[in-house]
Amino acid sequence: MKKIILIAGLLSISVAQPALANEQCGKVTIADMNWSSASLIANVDHFILQHGFGCEAELLPGDTMPTSISMIEKGQPDIAPEIWSNSVKQLIEKGVSDKRLVIAGESLSDGGEEGFWVPQYMVDNDPSLKTIEGVIAKVNDFDHPEDPDHGAFYGCPAGWACQLSAENIYRALKLNEVGFDLIDPGSGAGLSGSIARAYERKKPWFGYYWSPTAVLGKYKMVKVDFGTGVDLAHFSSCLSLAECADPKASMYPKALVQTITTSGFAKKTTQGFNYLSKRAFTNVQMNSLLAWMEDNQADGDIAAEYFLTQYEDVWRQWIPADAAEKVTLALKAR
Amino acid sequence: MADSSWLNTFPKMDRVDLLAIRKYLDSAFRDFSREYGDNIELFFSPMLDFLIWFEKLLVRSPWWAVLSVITALVYLASRSWKLAFSVIVSFLLIGYFGMWEDTMRTLSIITVCTMLAIILGVPIGIFMARSDRTQSVVTPVLDVMQTMPAFVYLIPVVMLLGIGKVPGVIAVVIYAIPPVIRLTNLGIRLVDKEVLEAATAYGANKMQRLMGVQLPLASPTIMAGINQTIMMALGMVVIASMIGVKGLGQPVLKSITNQYFTLGLFNGLAIVALAIIFDRATQAYAKRSQKHLLDGHNA
Repeated sequence: MKKIILIAGLLSISVAQPALANEQCGKVTIADMNWSSASLIANVDHFILQHGFGCEAELLPGDTMPTSISMIEKGQPDIAPEIWSNSVKQLIEKGVSDKRLVIAGESLSDGGEEGFWVPQYMVDNDPSLKTIEGVIAKVNDFDHPEDPDHGAFYGCPAGWACQLSAENIYRALKLNEVGFDLIDPGSGAGLSGSIARAYERKKPWFGYYWSPTAVLGKYKMVKVDFGTGVDLAHFSSCLSLAECADPKASMYPKALVQTITTSGFAKKTTQGFNYLSKRAFTNVQMNSLLAWMEDNQADGDIAAEYFLTQYEDVWRQWIPADAAEKVTLALKAR
Repeated sequence: MADSSWLNTFPKMDRVDLLAIRKYLDSAFRDFSREYGDNIELFFSPMLDFLIWFEKLLVRSPWWAVLSVITALVYLASRSWKLAFSVIVSFLLIGYFGMWEDTMRTLSIITVCTMLAIILGVPIGIFMARSDRTQSVVTPVLDVMQTMPAFVYLIPVVMLLGIGKVPGVIAVVIYAIPPVIRLTNLGIRLVDKEVLEAATAYGANKMQRLMGVQLPLASPTIMAGINQTIMMALGMVVIASMIGVKGLGQPVLKSITNQYFTLGLFNGLAIVALAIIFDRATQAYAKRSQKHLLDGHNA
């Protein structure tokens, strides 16, 4: 008899619990950004919020700038799992001070690494290319596809925030004066495509990119040293802005990569918000996950499933035990 | 899981097998690009040289010279002062709003794309009209070209040719060539059989029938096809700029990522202005040449 009551009790709890959680959490939209690491994190959030906390989670396609603006103006989507805050600094700061956005925590605890890169095979042949002086001296090696008189420097795609910093540093290093032409690759696909093409044929390549990314996981590149160190104050007061009259060269500072939510979401579910504030990947973890995604051509949802099954000890630290049990159950049911 | 049968879940391919296929095809393509990429690039290098030369010509010539040449061309094609005048006004406005250089770049690449589409498209259309078998092969290919999302073929094109003008032209031509092929085919097929019989009776051979009867009579339809091709090429400007083609597409892209409504609108309007000028000039030219044809016929 006792057993039956216990089972009945358990049943009623398991039935009641999601309903209760639903009331708390309700509908949650998560921005599924169009690059691998963010899509992976978004899918992990989706699974954990849905099954661990009983939210009605939904993924919405997004991109840094449109998503941030939409979160501030419309309060939708609720969660942006991977925002490179440098790129939308003013927007985010304003959103936070207007109490429309809340920074939950860092999604990449080591931060992102931006810079100007050359392929490993070029440095193997000529170690001087590790520094900017070496690259400048070899300007003629970096063939421009459309202009034999210039070298090619692949900048950041038009409209991306890194376009400003890449162009300012390009000016600060006087790359235009030594004969490097700044090529706008037009899109992220164009930029990574140009790297892939150069790498497959062992051609020279010099340009802006960032890590952790699937591209830099797959194609080994060396970050060019400007010999300047990081001038954080100048970077944030000039190099990252559109109006930078007198840019001075500086390496990219460690990029803060954060999870950002709308203030509505933060108020709605403290549990979910606590999870997001704890949920962080190290670059080692992320690089190996991205390499796995690349090798298996996996999308975000498959990679999230892989992460949740293979890295259980990692995500168990992010959520309370009862939620973790529910996630494990849901994983088994898949 | 065990109780799920093919009745309630679709019997799909195992993910591992699917993955093997994807990986195999990808690496096959990568090997192909490694092997032949340089040669393919070499093959396209005359086109690249021409594109660069033409763009430099348009960008570096003084604006008034370019404007007068364009106005003269439009007038010669249309013989309409009104149209020529509106060309001057719209180009002055484009220049005044600081879009002259981008417009010239777009103009140069669209002109090359259109010429290429006509040079390739009209003969293909003629072959299609000649044989039903060719038509049955080409039509599905055209369907694929028109509906396949541009990004799908941009990936291999970028892998083979890098980013820049040549891959841009290829992407635009793939998308924009179907109307001229389809309508050339249709126009020739619609030519009255009796007219053709009359031409044969006068002893005209195949070539004479084609050049003297079929093409002239089909010309309104072919011109409509060329028109559509130009419009579609201009519509592709933004997509082409995603693989590094400079021009009006880039500011549009920039305004999309940054939500700069006005910047997007101005550059979009410049694209529209180019499209309308192209359209009106070619249509007026077509109408005129048709009239000329009818006059000659009557006389």
